[in-house]
Amino acid sequence: MATQAHSLSYAGCNFLRQRLVLSTLSGRPVKIRKIRARDDNPGLRDFEASFIRLLDKITNGSRIEINQTGTTLYYQPGLLCGGSVEHDCNVLRSIGYYLESLLCLAPFMKHPLRIVLRGVTNDQVDPSVDVLKATALPLLKQFGIDGESFELKVVRRGMPPGGGGEVLFSCPVRKVLKPVQLTDPGKIKRIRGIAYSVRVSPQMANRIVDSARSILNKFIPDIYIYTDHMKGVSSGKSPGFGLSLVAETTNGTFLGAELASNPQGQGAAVLPEDLGRNCAKLLLEEIYRGGCVDSTNQSLALLLMTLGQQDVSKVLLGPLSPYTIEFLRHLKSFFQIMFKIETKPCGEELKGGDKVLMACVGVGFSNLSKTLK
Amino acid sequence: LVQTNGLSNSLNLEKATLTTSDSGHCTAEEAFASEDETEESSCLSTEDEDSENEEVIRKKFPESFQVAGGQRLGSENLTDETSDVEDLLKEEEDYKEENNYSTETSGALKWKEDLSRKAAEAFLRQQQATPNLRKLIYGTVTEDNE
Repeated sequence: MATQAHSLSYAGCNFLRQRLVLSTLSGRPVKIRKIRARDDNPGLRDFEASFIRLLDKITNGSRIEINQTGTTLYYQPGLLCGGSVEHDCNVLRSIGYYLESLLCLAPFMKHPLRIVLRGVTNDQVDPSVDVLKATALPLLKQFGIDGESFELKVVRRGMPPGGGGEVLFSCPVRKVLKPVQLTDPGKIKRIRGIAYSVRVSPQMANRIVDSARSILNKFIPDIYIYTDHMKGVSSGKSPGFGLSLVAETTNGTFLGAELASNPQGQGAAVLPEDLGRNCAKLLLEEIYRGGCVDSTNQSLALLLMTLGQQDVSKVLLGPLSPYTIEFLRHLKSFFQIMFKIETKPCGEELKGGDKVLMACVGVGFSNLSKTLK
Repeated sequence: LVQTNGLSNSLNLEKATLTTSDSGHCTAEEAFASEDETEESSCLSTEDEDSENEEVIRKKFPESFQVAGGQRLGSENLTDETSDVEDLLKEEEDYKEENNYSTETSGALKWKEDLSRKAAEAFLRQQQATPNLRKLIYGTVTEDNE
């Protein structure tokens, strides 16, 4: 993987994680220029620097060069090493920001990754740990990444701006990935959720549950929303509350939606009733978009399809998110993989928004590091 | 006009009596009614004449209408009638002014022209719109590959 290939060059701060992750997996160095070059505060942000440090921790032999202003980054990836790692994530972004990339890399480590991440577990920007646990992990299982040690646990909850949460993620390694054929999402069979509250009245979570149920009860009887009130050390440094909902279909597809309260001292106070109702509506929107993979995990599914064995993989997705579209372009430049994209207009059996059937032949990526062990 | 005025007057009267009839003047009402009948019958005869004139006009209109429709559809079944049709068209040159509405309807029926061609066009447009997604994502390079 550390073969000397010609480097790819990009400009701008967007999609930094995508580029670094794909660079690590493909072994091609990247050079990113003009990172916020015209900004009042130019260069890499603290959370991006933290992400690069995390990459440095889980790889062996990476070369990272950043210029003085932080506007240019050169990254020559090393081998994915894994093992037991701890990382303090920046509180500007939630742990989900780091975890999303780790989910892409973890199956290809030399040693099974066992990482403790500290920081913000739930915020309003990134997918929370709860949603990733409920949607991304079952998706990885479809690709054959499974086992006893495959877990994601919220040890402590931390809300912005203080953070103070802690997450344990451990993932087994696989030599090859199974190709998948996910073309029928099935029907919604149950809805599960977690209403969490930290450093506020435990009643908040109950109020969220009641209001979310007021909308969802009309559609399906099998709803269970857990209330998770963490106290003391495990409640982090800042108050807050939120809700994450996951709809499971008969064919094992998980569609997630979530909302969190405004961080302390930022924006108007959010009523738990409004939050519950809006989150339920977001879940309905996600179900309308549909597909076999929800919109937060589209790019993860496409990556794992690309890295699969040399066999055809098919996945039915909802409308592609802008992030996914850019990810497809990156997959093309890093792996020379172009997907067959077929629009499936919503017909009789496919209700909701227009679906897209994505198909590709895997590049036959195998975890070389593992065979060396 | 005098007659009709008289009729309307009598009708008004009748209405008036009808309204007042609630009070119970049954006899007066009956008397009026008998008078009305005679007047109405005379009136109706004049009206019939008018309606006959209208019918004459109406007979001509639908024919012209059919002719126009037949030509537009381009159906050759009406070959026998074409001669009659042409005669009718010649006759109706005077009516052109009044027939304005028929030209308007021809505009309204324009959507019926070439329905099959339009359907084919719509289908091709749809076909061209669908693979756009791949082109949108990967740029124009894909067109060369495919």
